[in-house]
Amino acid sequence: MPANKKYLNPSFHQRFAKITAGFIGGFLITSLLFLIFALLTDHVAILITLKFAGFIVWCTLMILPFLFENGWKAWAFYFIALLVLGATFYFLKSTSPELLSAL
Amino acid sequence: MSNRIYNVLFHTHTISGLVISVALFVIFFAGSISFFRDDIVNWERQQPIVNNTQMDVDFDTMMDSIAASTPLYGRDITLSQIHQERRVMVSITPSKDTTAEEAAQARAFFYQDPATQKSYSYFQDITLGEFIYRLHFFAQIPYPYGYTLAGIVAFFFLFAIVTGVIVHWKKIISNFYLFRPRAKLKTVWTDAHTALGLIGLPFQFIYAVTGATLIIGSTIMLSTATSFFYDGNSQAMYKDLSTDVAALPFTNNPMTFKGSFNNMIAEAESQWEDVYANKVVIQNYGDANMQVAVDVKPINKKQFSGLGQVAFKASNGQIVFKRTPYGETPYIASVQDFLIKLHYGNFGGYALKVIYFFFGIITCFVIISGVLIWVEARDKKSNTVFKRKANKWVASIFLAISLSMYPVTVISFLAIKLFKNVNDPAPHLFIYKVYFLSWLVLSVLFSIKKNNYFTNKWCLISGSILGFMVPIANGIVTGDWLWTTFNEQQIQIFVVDAFWLITSIVTLIICFKLKPGKNKTATATESTTKKDKPKKQFKSKVKAKAV
Repeated sequence: MPANKKYLNPSFHQRFAKITAGFIGGFLITSLLFLIFALLTDHVAILITLKFAGFIVWCTLMILPFLFENGWKAWAFYFIALLVLGATFYFLKSTSPELLSAL
Repeated sequence: MSNRIYNVLFHTHTISGLVISVALFVIFFAGSISFFRDDIVNWERQQPIVNNTQMDVDFDTMMDSIAASTPLYGRDITLSQIHQERRVMVSITPSKDTTAEEAAQARAFFYQDPATQKSYSYFQDITLGEFIYRLHFFAQIPYPYGYTLAGIVAFFFLFAIVTGVIVHWKKIISNFYLFRPRAKLKTVWTDAHTALGLIGLPFQFIYAVTGATLIIGSTIMLSTATSFFYDGNSQAMYKDLSTDVAALPFTNNPMTFKGSFNNMIAEAESQWEDVYANKVVIQNYGDANMQVAVDVKPINKKQFSGLGQVAFKASNGQIVFKRTPYGETPYIASVQDFLIKLHYGNFGGYALKVIYFFFGIITCFVIISGVLIWVEARDKKSNTVFKRKANKWVASIFLAISLSMYPVTVISFLAIKLFKNVNDPAPHLFIYKVYFLSWLVLSVLFSIKKNNYFTNKWCLISGSILGFMVPIANGIVTGDWLWTTFNEQQIQIFVVDAFWLITSIVTLIICFKLKPGKNKTATATESTTKKDKPKKQFKSKVKAKAV
């Protein structure tokens, strides 16, 4: 019953890539996703949702990299997502001071 | 799902589960006992209180006595009894008066006994109930490492649950009805793991999410919100996410408070039907703008979640703010309520707590069987002898640490009843010594013995026999025998004694049902002889279903 080894990639850097992509990348994507919504709508409701639902989203994003054969490819996708989300967040936050003044 | 993904996810399930196994077992075992935390505290202190009498306290006398020993001017004081116990939690913010004396410039936190008006620091207040409760999120490891570890374990538990469900998905119905107790050990563990895992699935999912949220929700999950959304101003965030009534501005204009806290609380409770005061916040103590905010909650039978608030201006006793608990509950308030009630299981009386306890123990069993599957599945000829021995050794250590928690917990109950000095200024040191030392000794002994059957049997037997002695020790030391506490309706003391009596009987029965030698020899013979054939069958089955 143990997982059939022929499907597992034993190389350290592949495993490292998948785990870090899910753990670090997944966490940052989850946070940014919620923070963007927090800028656009009721930030208190979104942030308290992030506090518990964030773990479920993060968990999903931690599973996804394992579906890739190449862990670095997963990192690439996550990195692009991070750039897009990060840029959106930065743009929204800096160009819409009226959103922030509502805080 | 392709074969590759099936196997990859299977592997992530195995590894994540193994990595957290010991920590998760400790969390669930200590956590299950913590359902009775308040009962254990009152049992230990011999201070039974009538259920649902929280905050029925003479706050006027209490505040007088606190004010006599603590400078309070300009500070916010929060009074609450989050547990069913006599002592009130008092938390005091630094004074808003910038010229206040040094003692008033720092936060203060202590417990006040309203019956004796004695105050206790956090460490003076520690009891066995509180110790076990805090063990379940590793608070004994210095902050923030213990909390973070517990939180990360909860998160990996969530990961293991989700990957487990995905891997198990196709056979989730058929395997549920599959139980082959006479088959080889690995099959027994597998059937138990999947069936009990499925029964406990909703419970475990709730605990993984609420547990992670309660322990690292603010510190880790909201860390990016603090730094990027609030630009590092965590105070602003906590203010946003708080449901407290906003304080009036501090005027620095001292004024003696002549009203009565008791009357205000009674007035707040009389605003609606079936509500009870949950928390009292006294803002700007002794200032012209002093305000008393009383949070009231509907009783569980009336409404699951609700937050009513009444704020009084202290100078004239007028109500300045009012929110009904039966109207629309603010989203933040209901999230907090749901998280805490779902996690504490405190909304359905003892019946619910017993069910929750049962599910907690089921989860402990799922964790153990998971580790045992891992060992049995790797105990085959294709693995080197050394590797197989090492795996077995890991499993024995795991079992020794986990199962010995049962006798260790009972020993600490007995020790606390028989040897605790009530005037000990640092009772936590005594509890630490008893609990951690006996745990260490038993874990080492069982690990050296390296016989799982032996570990299991002797943990159960010693736990049962010592468990029988808990109600007896309590009866001899305090005179509170099971029948007296029952007749006098000292329910909390009765619950703890009855808990140990029933648990001892159950574990003793389980112990006698353990077929001596059968499991043991089965492990021994199986690892050498009839391992190959069923192995292959299982593999092909997995393949066939997975395709």
